[in-house]
Amino acid sequence: MSAKAGEHERFLDGPLSDGLSSLVAAAHELKSPLALIRQLSLMLEDNELGLVEQKRMLRQISLTSEQALRLTSDLTRSVRLSDALFTLEPINPQQLCEDIVSELAPYFVAHDRDVRLAPRKHPLLLVANRDLLRRIIMNFSDNALHYTEDNTTVEIHIGLLNGGKTVRLGVRDYGPALSVNALDSLRGRLVDSTTTIYARPQSSGLGLYIASQFADAMNGKIGVKRHRDGSTFYVDLQASQQLSLL
Amino acid sequence: MKTSLSVLVVEDDRWLAEQYSRVLTKVGYEVKVTSHVLAAVQAIDDFRPDAIILDVLLTGSTAFTLLHELQSYGDTGAIPIILCTNLASELSLEDLRPYGVRRIIDKTKMVPDDLTIALRSVL
Repeated sequence: MSAKAGEHERFLDGPLSDGLSSLVAAAHELKSPLALIRQLSLMLEDNELGLVEQKRMLRQISLTSEQALRLTSDLTRSVRLSDALFTLEPINPQQLCEDIVSELAPYFVAHDRDVRLAPRKHPLLLVANRDLLRRIIMNFSDNALHYTEDNTTVEIHIGLLNGGKTVRLGVRDYGPALSVNALDSLRGRLVDSTTTIYARPQSSGLGLYIASQFADAMNGKIGVKRHRDGSTFYVDLQASQQLSLL
Repeated sequence: MKTSLSVLVVEDDRWLAEQYSRVLTKVGYEVKVTSHVLAAVQAIDDFRPDAIILDVLLTGSTAFTLLHELQSYGDTGAIPIILCTNLASELSLEDLRPYGVRRIIDKTKMVPDDLTIALRSVL
């Protein structure tokens, strides 16, 4: 385990939760978006709202629905992981992350936040399943959107580790930092297969649980680094040697 | 000098907080929103709200940290608190009364007017 000064790092590589707790976590995780959609819908029945405000609320409903649907899609995919074979192939993470940033930008802007991909000079290839990796980064980005402060920019970083053998994709937020105790608790829950993974107090940890499953299916692992002003959730995957063969 | 009753909303879902603010402002409350406990403590010092609407599971520390903090001081301990949470079914109002909690609203069942009804009952 390595850690920079002022930062703490933990690998999240434990076994996975059981089905029942996942179901409970899914129910808990979906409560918030559904409650919000319900509140906004009830408010829209009030004819006293102006047109601009109505449009804003409808936009919030559609974006919140999309977020909830992403979660249900990920959950379905995670349940079927053991039944399916996922093709691992060389992937350009830069291109993948650019697509994710384009897709999520409107959602971030609607929250008065931004998302960007940190520039990188040299191209990289990693070995992964495109769909699973995309879902992991989308998941981390959703998480970052929720926890980062207003008017900040969530950053997606791509880097090399272990002498070029590992590629790390990290999503950095700028919100209240995870406490060291929370990090230890997080790690413990990943090791304890009978509980779900609570990334932060108000989270059921379902997204992290699913991301952990997806990373595992690609022989990778997820982890979190604590900063003084936020956190980075990351996934480590094997670098492809194809570029060096060219 | 404040001319209307003021409410601090502590809710980390930005759009839900905006919705609460929309409802409360409409009926004349002065509303301030914070998304986590640290900011709430500062806002209580600066804003001196007449009541607090508080989510339970927040980014960083939970609502219970704030409840303990408020009870540590005589003036803040008297501020009525309305919990607005998805965990309402797991909380007991009687257990939480000593911490200044006067109402618990279930987010999954509430209608927009529930906030103003609860506030009127405690102010």
